[in-house]
Amino acid sequence: MDLNRPALPLQNKATNRKALAATAIAAALLLSACGGGAAPQGAEQAAAADPASGANASGAVNICGVKDASGIYKGTAEAFTQANGKVTAKYTEIGATTDEARTQIVQRLEGKSTECDLFVTDVIWTSEFASQGWLLDQTKLVEANKDRLIPSTVETTKYQDKYWGSPFFTNAGLIYYQKDKVAKPESWQQLYAEAAKAPGNGYVYQGKQYEGLTVNFLEMLYSAGGEVLNDQGDVKIDSKETRDVLNFMSDGLKNGSADRAVLTYNEDPARLAYESGDFGYQRNWPHVYRLLNATPLASSFAVAPLPAWEGGKASGVLGGWNLAISAHSTNQAGAVAFIDFATTPDWQKHVAMDYSQAPVNEAAYSDPAVLQKMPFATELLASVKGAKPRPISPVYPQISQAIYKNVYAVLSGTASTEEAVKKMADEITTAKASF
Amino acid sequence: MALKTLLPGRSPSGAPARPVSGRDRAERKLAFRMTAPSLVIMALVAAVPIGYAIWLSLNQYSVRTAGLSRFVGLENYINALASQEWWAAFGQTFLFAGLSVSLELILGTAMALLLNLAFKGRAVLRTVVLLPYAIITVVSAITWQTMFQPNMGLVTNVLSTLGLPGGDVVWLGEHGYAMAVIVMADVWKTTPFAALIILAGLQVISAETYEAAELDGASKWQTFVNITLPLLRPAIVLAAIFRTMDALRVFDLPFVLTRGANGTESMSMLAYTQLRENRLVGEGSALSILTFLTVMVVSVIYVRFAGGNIRDVAKEEQ
Repeated sequence: MDLNRPALPLQNKATNRKALAATAIAAALLLSACGGGAAPQGAEQAAAADPASGANASGAVNICGVKDASGIYKGTAEAFTQANGKVTAKYTEIGATTDEARTQIVQRLEGKSTECDLFVTDVIWTSEFASQGWLLDQTKLVEANKDRLIPSTVETTKYQDKYWGSPFFTNAGLIYYQKDKVAKPESWQQLYAEAAKAPGNGYVYQGKQYEGLTVNFLEMLYSAGGEVLNDQGDVKIDSKETRDVLNFMSDGLKNGSADRAVLTYNEDPARLAYESGDFGYQRNWPHVYRLLNATPLASSFAVAPLPAWEGGKASGVLGGWNLAISAHSTNQAGAVAFIDFATTPDWQKHVAMDYSQAPVNEAAYSDPAVLQKMPFATELLASVKGAKPRPISPVYPQISQAIYKNVYAVLSGTASTEEAVKKMADEITTAKASF
Repeated sequence: MALKTLLPGRSPSGAPARPVSGRDRAERKLAFRMTAPSLVIMALVAAVPIGYAIWLSLNQYSVRTAGLSRFVGLENYINALASQEWWAAFGQTFLFAGLSVSLELILGTAMALLLNLAFKGRAVLRTVVLLPYAIITVVSAITWQTMFQPNMGLVTNVLSTLGLPGGDVVWLGEHGYAMAVIVMADVWKTTPFAALIILAGLQVISAETYEAAELDGASKWQTFVNITLPLLRPAIVLAAIFRTMDALRVFDLPFVLTRGANGTESMSMLAYTQLRENRLVGEGSALSILTFLTVMVVSVIYVRFAGGNIRDVAKEEQ
């Protein structure tokens, strides 16, 4: 071809169009890559796991879940394989982050994949997965193991009066405080008042617009006796309690009890800010204990359960991870055997000692060996036992968004409490209607 | 080379046009036959997913029915266009694109002019300048987040140490400031890209043009305004098209920096939330298509108006 040939105006136009078309196609490809198919399935006819089947299990069990940062999943699989002898368990990482793992699990379940027998599921996924008929009904198994499980942790696996998973380890919020600067938190009012007293006494929590803000808000709302959905599933968030908590939180930002920077904090930035020594109180999860202990604050901080409102009863929000058996598992007996092992009081002690996670077995918290590794176990148990699950609904992600977006709007000063409460209630109602 | 031919309106030689001959037609036919297989593959790769996305957007998928779909026509689009969220995201995305692209073009032009000068170490500088563009956006977003962290971030620390305003601002927690950080992060990362395209345009301008201007006694500024800028227009327009299309699809910067808080939620983020987090496949697909249409309309407008400029330049040259 003659490279020196002149370009014609006509060709220019065509080139432009082609370039445009090509870029437009590229844009569309990027966008459409997110679409996903779906398979029909009812929740009602889900099969049930047989508690007795675990004893005669053999073969291989594949457990799938998020990246194993602490080594707890692989460690448990290895210990189980050694102890059991007949069943071999293996852990497969299918997502780097919680969000990515959920997407991967949903894709496998929608496609009826038999790759994974067990999924490690975040407590907030239960209703969504169960409602799709993706999980094996574990009601009988949970009943069989009930005496060794803390009741509140079992509640996180409940959907429509059945249990769809067994708790593996749990999680609850704690207050870390500088004992030489501020008093032990007895109530939210006292904590905020104390925090406002001096510049170095401030309170840091997770106030960024994300799931963590929902948790921080619900911890206060539950303690105040408020709720998002009642037992019948009706929307109950438009209440005096919601208004009181929102006003309290936003006043706390205005009067300096809590630093405005919390509007940008999730777990790690909150911890890092606290480590600077410029604050008195921090709300965070138990894993922070180990990290704080490696800082100069090691000798000056203490741990307390989440406080109640004055004259009330404390009630936090449960985090943690459950073990759910895939409805398409080809080794359900092996999965049952694994769950039996993972929830034994003995292994639950290892959960605390080896991996610094909160056990689902109450006795573990008073075991001397555990207390030595986890001196705040008593406080943690108090938080776990008092905690409630987040709203139970298959459309939980939307409900959580309605909460954190509107709470954030009040905290950042772009919406009034009244507007936010109405909008929150509306959006939750709409979300429920989409199910 | 590739960039030179990409630049519309300027033939490599700049020689005058001549009428279409028989040989031209035969050559075009051959060209068509040779590109046909790749066109078919492109059509399959592009059309199938687009078609599928359009089909998804016309259906309602419910979590209740475990994904079973119901045809709802344009309902998802109507709902999206009636929602405050869509228009808020639409406005914010355009604000972001307008601010970041204009800054990138101004700074990119300046950078290109600088890199076009003959000086020692020019090759090294050209490579160094491109570095921000080589960094993955998510990584650079996290860096920016760290820099603007209140109390301990680099920027906030420097500002408050020097007693300058902004040291006590929670940058990512305030409306306006948050957008400013996102725009800055984008400008920092993609200005080199704009500069590279403009630099390529700059190098096509022949030295004789400048010599002629010098003979006519034109000042440096006159030369720049009357010669460099008009001849550079096609390159600037090209950079603007690329950058605008990218900016209108922005996702990672606001996602990492604010999660869409403080009025920084973009159209793509909205679509992502519906598709991935809420599993509302129909609604999410409709939002994706709306985003796609917005990007397309904007690029068509660009090509129409700026394309006219390109043709003018071509004519002037002839």
